[in-house]
Amino acid sequence: MENSLHPKKVKIVRLEDMASNVKLFRLAPVGWKFPANKSGLIFTPGQFVLAGRWGAGEAPFGPASSPFEKGFIELGVRRVGNVTATFHHLREGDEMTLRGPYGNGYPIDFFQGKDVVMVTGGCGIPPIAALIEYIIARRESFGRVYLLYGALAPKDLLFRERFENWEEKIKLILTVDKPTPDWKGHIGLVSELTKEIQIDPLNTATAMCGPGPMTAALENILRPLGIADRRIFVSEERKMSCGIGKCQHCTTGDKYVCTDGPVFYYDQVQGNWD
Amino acid sequence: MPRVISQGNIPNLITDLKKSHDVFGPMEKDGEVVFGKVEDPTNVLLRYKTTLLPPKIFFLPPEEELFKVTNGRVQEGRVEKPFIIFGLNRKDLEAIVYLDQIMGKKPADTFYLNRRKSSILIGVFEEEVGVPPGGDLILEMVSGNDYRAIALTEKGRIIANSEFFKEGKVDGKVAPTETPSKLDQMLLDSELIAQAIKWSRENYRQVWERLGKVCIGCGICTYVCPLCYCTSTEDKTSFDQSVCSRCRKWDACTLPGFAQIAGGHNFRPTQAARYFNWFYHKFVRAYKEFGQAQCVACGRCQKYCPAGIDIEKVLEEIIDAFQKAQPTRKF
Repeated sequence: MENSLHPKKVKIVRLEDMASNVKLFRLAPVGWKFPANKSGLIFTPGQFVLAGRWGAGEAPFGPASSPFEKGFIELGVRRVGNVTATFHHLREGDEMTLRGPYGNGYPIDFFQGKDVVMVTGGCGIPPIAALIEYIIARRESFGRVYLLYGALAPKDLLFRERFENWEEKIKLILTVDKPTPDWKGHIGLVSELTKEIQIDPLNTATAMCGPGPMTAALENILRPLGIADRRIFVSEERKMSCGIGKCQHCTTGDKYVCTDGPVFYYDQVQGNWD
Repeated sequence: MPRVISQGNIPNLITDLKKSHDVFGPMEKDGEVVFGKVEDPTNVLLRYKTTLLPPKIFFLPPEEELFKVTNGRVQEGRVEKPFIIFGLNRKDLEAIVYLDQIMGKKPADTFYLNRRKSSILIGVFEEEVGVPPGGDLILEMVSGNDYRAIALTEKGRIIANSEFFKEGKVDGKVAPTETPSKLDQMLLDSELIAQAIKWSRENYRQVWERLGKVCIGCGICTYVCPLCYCTSTEDKTSFDQSVCSRCRKWDACTLPGFAQIAGGHNFRPTQAARYFNWFYHKFVRAYKEFGQAQCVACGRCQKYCPAGIDIEKVLEEIIDAFQKAQPTRKF
C-alpha cells in the first residue's frame, strides 16, 4: 500500500520573483511523472499540494500552473512562516518534495457552459490562475468570463506577465488600493466593481479565493448580481499538516478543509464559526 | 470445550510470548498503573482500573520518526519487532477498535496500520466478556482463579491453542458485566449528545465561557484520551545537515496555536473556542463522520484534568439544558 505521507522528490527548475515577498517555484518531478486523469489534468484547479523540504517541513499550496502541463507544477510562495522562509532561500536546481494533489478543487464540470466570475485578492490568486489556464485552454466551453483581482499596489498583483495572454480570452478587472501614477485600472475594493460585470446570473458559476475581505466581495458583488450561494465556490485556508483528514488542524465545523475542501460551495461553510 | 488457563500459569505464558515478541502490559510505577515493557511477568497486573496513558501510545506514539533522510536517502519508520499488549481492559480495546477505523479510513495512515499489523492484543476481563469489543484474544476470568480463552482472530487462536491452556470445563461463575456509568449510558445515545452540543454553541454559551476560564489549556485531557489523535509534524536536522528526521508528535486541539496559520491568524483564538472544539470533535464531528461519539467513558480525562473538569458532568448539564429547552410535546 502506498504511504500517503511519503512525499516525492522534485527539483526547482525555475525560480522567479513575483512581488517583494512572493516567489514562483516551478517544480519538476525527479524520477517519476505526474499522473494525469482521463481529461489529461494532473490536478483540478483549486486542489492543493503539500510542498516540502526535508529539514524544514511541508506547507500547503494551490498550484498556479496550467493543470494540462505535465512536465512541472508552479507554486506561488509568499514568505510568511518558517517553512516558506526556508523555501525562499533555495535556488534553481535545489531539491524539494511534493505530495498530493489533495482535496476537491473547483467543480470544473459544473462550470462548463456557464458564465464564470472569479474573485480574488492578494496572494489568493494561484489556484484561480490555474482555473484561468484551464478555462483558456477550453475557452469555447465557457460563456463570459471575468477575473476580479485586487491588491495593495500594482507591484503586488501577481502573474502580471500572464495578464496580456489572459486579456485576449477573458475580461480582467484589476484594482489596487495604492495606485502608481501610471496605473490604468481601478482603485479601491474589489467589491466596488459590480457595474463592470455583464452576466446571466442564473447561468453563472463563481470561484473565490482570498482572505477575509473577500466576504465583502461576496456580499457586495455576487449576491447583488443575483448569484445563488450554492454557485459560489470558495477556497478555504486553514493550517494543514497531514493532508489526509487525520491530524485535525484544518477542521471547520463539520468539515475537513483538506479532504472535504479546500473548495466548498458557499453555504457549506457559511455558518461555520471556526 | 473451552480453553482455560490458570492464573498461576499466566506468567509462564507471558515468558513464552516474550521469546518471539516484545510484551507490554499494565504494571505499577510510581503509584500509577502504566503500560510498560514486561521484564518480570509476575509484575503484570491482571486486575486494575485504568492505566495513566492509553494503549494508543503503541500505535500512535507520543513521538515517532516517520522518515529519516540520510544524505538524500529516504527511509520510512518501521516496526522493528512484533509486539503484544497483554492485559487490555474492555474500554481500551473498544477504543483501539474505533481508532483502527479512524486511521484506516482512506487515505489511511500507513504508520499506524503497520504498528497494528505487527501487534497482538490480549484482553484480560474480570467480568463476563459478552459481545467482545475486539482484539485478538480475551481472557475472561472464571471463579477467581481460571481464565477462559476467547479467541477472536487467528493470532489469538494460536495462543489459545498453546500448551499453557487446557481443555477444561468451566464450572465457576463469571462476574456480571460492570454496571454502566452515567457517562456509559449517555454514550448510548450519540445522536442526542451531538444535537445537544451543537445546540449549546449558540444557546448555552455560558457553559463554554465558564469552561474557557476553567480550562488551563494544558492538553492533558487529549494526551490521556484513548481516542484523541491530533498530531503535528516537525523536521529536525543534524548539525552538518546530513541527516533529517521527520517526527510526528501528539498535539492537542486545546493548545493555543493548534489552529493558527503562518502569518498569525488563529481560527480558534480563545480557550473557550478551543475547549468547545474538543467537545465538538468528539461528540458532533465524530458522530457525523463515524456514527459514534469518540469517547469510551474510560474516565482518564476527568481523573487527570488539573482544573478538575469532569466531562460526564458537563455533558449532563448540556443535555439537561437542551432537553429543557425543547418544546414539550403532548400526545
